[in-house]
Amino acid sequence: MKSVMIVFNQANTERVEYMLDKLGIRGFTFFEQVQGRGSVDGQPHRGTHTWPEMNSVVITVVEDDKLDVLLETIHKLDLRNEEVGVRAFVWNIEQTV
Amino acid sequence: MSIYKTAINKPVTSILIFVAVMLMGVFAYIKLPIDQYPEIDPPFVAVMCAYPGANASEVETNVTKYMENALNSVDGLDELTSTSKDNLSLVALEFEWGGNLDEVMNDIRSYVDMAKDNLPSGASNPYIIKFNSSSMPIIQFAVQAKESYPGLEKIMNDEVIPQLSRVDGVGNVSMSGEPDRYVYIDINQKQLDAYSITLETVGNAISGNNLNLSSGNVKMKKEQYALQVRSEYLESSELANIVVSTTPDGKQIYVRDIATVRDTIKDMTLDEKMNGEEAVRLIISKQTGANTVQICKDIHKELEKIQKSLPADIQFREIYDSSTEIVNAINSLEESVLYAVGFVVLVVLFFLGKWRASIIIGLTIPISLLVAFLYLLFVDSSLNIISLCSLSIAVGMVVDDAIVVLENITTHIERGSNPREAAIYGTNEVWVSVIATTLVIVAVFVPLTMLTGIAGVMFKELGWIVTIVCCTSTAVAISLVPMLCSKVLKAKSVKLDAEGHLVKEQKDTKTLSYENTVVKALDKLDAFYANVLRWCLSHRALTMLFVVAFFFVSLIPALTGRIGTDFMAVPDNGRLTVDVELLQGTRVEETAKFARMLEKRFFDLVPETKNISTTCGSNDAAGISALFSSTRNNTIQMRFNAGKKYTRERSITEIAEVLRQEIASYPEVADYKVAISSGGGMGGQSTVDVEIYGYDFDVTSAYAAQVKQLLQNDPKTRDIARNIDISRDDDRPELKIVVDKEKAARHGLTSAVVATYVRNRVNGMACGYLKEDGDEYDILVRLEEENRNSIDAIEDLTLPTSTGLVKLSEIASVEEYWGPPEIERKSRQRYLKVEVTPFNTSLGELAVAIDNVLPQIEKPNGVSVVLGGSYEDQQESFQDMGLLLLIIVILVYVVMASQFESYAKPFIIMMAVPFAFSGVIWALFFTSTSLDMIGALGCIMLVGIVVKNGIVLVDYINLMRDRGYELNEAIALSGQSRLRPVLMTAMTTILGMLPMALSTSDGSEMWVPMGIVVIGGLLVSTIVTLVVVPVLYGIMSKHGERDKEAETRSQYIFMDINTEGSKKKVASSEKISIDKK
Repeated sequence: MKSVMIVFNQANTERVEYMLDKLGIRGFTFFEQVQGRGSVDGQPHRGTHTWPEMNSVVITVVEDDKLDVLLETIHKLDLRNEEVGVRAFVWNIEQTV
Repeated sequence: MSIYKTAINKPVTSILIFVAVMLMGVFAYIKLPIDQYPEIDPPFVAVMCAYPGANASEVETNVTKYMENALNSVDGLDELTSTSKDNLSLVALEFEWGGNLDEVMNDIRSYVDMAKDNLPSGASNPYIIKFNSSSMPIIQFAVQAKESYPGLEKIMNDEVIPQLSRVDGVGNVSMSGEPDRYVYIDINQKQLDAYSITLETVGNAISGNNLNLSSGNVKMKKEQYALQVRSEYLESSELANIVVSTTPDGKQIYVRDIATVRDTIKDMTLDEKMNGEEAVRLIISKQTGANTVQICKDIHKELEKIQKSLPADIQFREIYDSSTEIVNAINSLEESVLYAVGFVVLVVLFFLGKWRASIIIGLTIPISLLVAFLYLLFVDSSLNIISLCSLSIAVGMVVDDAIVVLENITTHIERGSNPREAAIYGTNEVWVSVIATTLVIVAVFVPLTMLTGIAGVMFKELGWIVTIVCCTSTAVAISLVPMLCSKVLKAKSVKLDAEGHLVKEQKDTKTLSYENTVVKALDKLDAFYANVLRWCLSHRALTMLFVVAFFFVSLIPALTGRIGTDFMAVPDNGRLTVDVELLQGTRVEETAKFARMLEKRFFDLVPETKNISTTCGSNDAAGISALFSSTRNNTIQMRFNAGKKYTRERSITEIAEVLRQEIASYPEVADYKVAISSGGGMGGQSTVDVEIYGYDFDVTSAYAAQVKQLLQNDPKTRDIARNIDISRDDDRPELKIVVDKEKAARHGLTSAVVATYVRNRVNGMACGYLKEDGDEYDILVRLEEENRNSIDAIEDLTLPTSTGLVKLSEIASVEEYWGPPEIERKSRQRYLKVEVTPFNTSLGELAVAIDNVLPQIEKPNGVSVVLGGSYEDQQESFQDMGLLLLIIVILVYVVMASQFESYAKPFIIMMAVPFAFSGVIWALFFTSTSLDMIGALGCIMLVGIVVKNGIVLVDYINLMRDRGYELNEAIALSGQSRLRPVLMTAMTTILGMLPMALSTSDGSEMWVPMGIVVIGGLLVSTIVTLVVVPVLYGIMSKHGERDKEAETRSQYIFMDINTEGSKKKVASSEKISIDKK
């Protein structure tokens, strides 16, 4: 089991939701209105007058076999429009209850 | 949940809400009456009090003064004037326009009651007369007839007037100059003397034989009958056969022996002609609040019906129909609004290049405008010049908000978001600033609604309409626009290659498309502007020097007095009022003859003439209307119609001048005035009044005459002053019967009895009525004309006494003397005024010229002179406007300062305002228009419109600096990026006003100055704003003032080890990403 944190411009919300549905990923946790700044380039998303855009975050825990297809789709999504970016970070799930 | 999210998520609801709003707006539009101006009661009240037998100065001291003192304390009184003439005192009160007259009337009533106790016992009860706009005639006809002329009065009274009165909304229908049927018994004085009977005997014989009287009931067996004397005359011929008296030798004297009976139309005191032919003037006014246009339409329809039942020779010719002007003015304004809508949509299409987007923005216009109609319906107003002007102004501004929102949404879509999400997040980013710019507009227009006085009446509606329309457009921009964007705009298409990978779009640079033409040109313009800005920023001092020099150069026309000022433009509706006063004492027949001659000359001199309707003399049955018109036997009043202005080459002012010169060439003319008349109520020709205050009649009259002569002859005023008119009339010659009381007493007569006898003989003794078909005609017994048309004849009058007959000359003498003038007072002081109309110049310039020449003549002691009239109103309303401008500037500053959270930034933006005024000055100068009240209003509005441009620019510069750009670079980049929105909003407003500024239709004189002012101001200020605001920003800001990093670092110095490097990297990387964009 892997945990995937998908951070995306909130303008991508519908596409991310569609992706999860399409890939049959049922469980997720959704954080709305989060701020963030990229490590390399891109505009900061701070919800201020200067940087008005905001991010959302979805954390989903998937079986290992679904991970590759998920990341691949996320990458496609990112390519679709790089300025409205999507990032995904993966880490291990040690235990669940 | 925010409004735009809700709207996007519930498209059906939001569409239907707006459809409902639009439907209600359309309904309101259909229901709205059409009128020239917003309905308002003219704030004039008059108190009239008769004091029979007193001369003017007695009336002044005993009645007028008490009335004035009491009424002077009425709340809200603006001006108190009075006229005291023989037998009558008239106090006129003027209040602030737009106040509550009902309360005022109550006040006046109680003050009049208080004053009553001080009035002399002979004075009558004072009447209070309130004017209202419905007392102004809305339509006038000249009714002409040939064979039926003698019976015209009956036909009119029995058929025409009752039927017209039935038309919905018609208030009062009256006639002027109608031929009254009268039965005259003209007695020969000599024959009367020969039979030694008196005129009263004849009169009593005639009235005594003309009655129906009940003489009780007669009971006959079972029945009962009413017994009556029925001896009323059936025809006028019976009168000749009435026995007046029997001589001692038994011979009966009939009326026919001593008099002639004439069943005819009344002697002329008033002569009404249309194009020199007999005519009766039919005057129709409306009820308060009724729809003028509808009534006039109905009246025409009704007249057509009536005409069928009338003799064929009776014709109705229209003298004046106020509805045609209203309809024309309203139509042309509606046209202007439609053109404005068209222009605005085209501008949007040009800049955005997307028809879908243009349609969305175009949709905000009708919605916002229709809401304005709803407002008008709610406040019981009408479609009038003011409300339509407001709409015309608003059209260019309503799209601004929608443009900002739509532009941001499109940017998101361009970046690849789908329209729905782009709409939500795109709106989210800008909605606060959209509301802020609307607040600026509100800050400008809401204070307009608080104006008082006549300006308040005009601009209250304008203030509300623009505010409401702009607020609606903002609401539409943040709800309907995002919703429509989410549905109508298309997402960027996605192309996949054979392996399912995304293919980057290749730009097509060859084909002739919007992208390759307009966008390229605009891109070039942006780049050019950015370069100009960079150059200016590196040569700040030079730029500012140039700009300041430009500003002062632009002030030259204003400082050298080349820009005139007016109160309100005089509309050219082709109508003149010509007042000619012949020498005092000219009889009405002679006056009429002169009028016919003038009419003929006018037709020759001015072939454009459509018709002339003339009134000579006055109606002796003095009604209230006769009280206020100054027509007398020696006056001619002409209503001259030269037709619509596009049907002729000469303007109405030129024609007026032709008429003036013609009239001035006749020696018998004592005084004349040719004034351009307006539709109704407001407007009319503005005058400068030289008000001369002083107690002594002779001194002030002489001074006024000197002033008149000076103004006519001085080179400074000779060519610009016309219609110089002294309000106090020359003393008029009168005949006075001086009764020798002793001699009279010897014959048992008193002055009062003598007065009655003389009146019976000269004016006539009313002896009942001749009844025919339910109408009553006066029977008047008096002497033949030859027996009463000279001083000798008057002295030869025979008066009855208890002992026999006596000649008037035995107990009294007839003397000629000059009747004292009417006493006019203003603010409880005697005064008179010299009215001057400007010719080929503006009111303000004329006033200045008069002020300059007046010191040439020495002012007598105890006389003070004030310039008043429309000039005073103009000064007052300009003062009001100035104050308003100040308030508005402060309010706008408040809004901006809070938006930028800075005291200094708003000043930068405000710097654009003076340049708007340079533009105004130039525009007025080159179009040789003078600044009137409407134009001044345009100036005030400019503050809001101009500032809006500056806000867009400064806001973006701030943003760029916060994003880490160096000051100058931030300014240049923002300029580049904001050029299009600034140009777009400026062009929509300018083009929106263009149809208004160019219109030439009826009444366009009213609103053209506003169009010129706004266009001129906006044009110059936009160009200057684009340079001055950024450069000033550069001057007033310090490098790094918005960089909070340094300050923060000083606080967290303990952490400052190696972070500096990494932070810089972040900042620079952010910049790169924007540059790519």
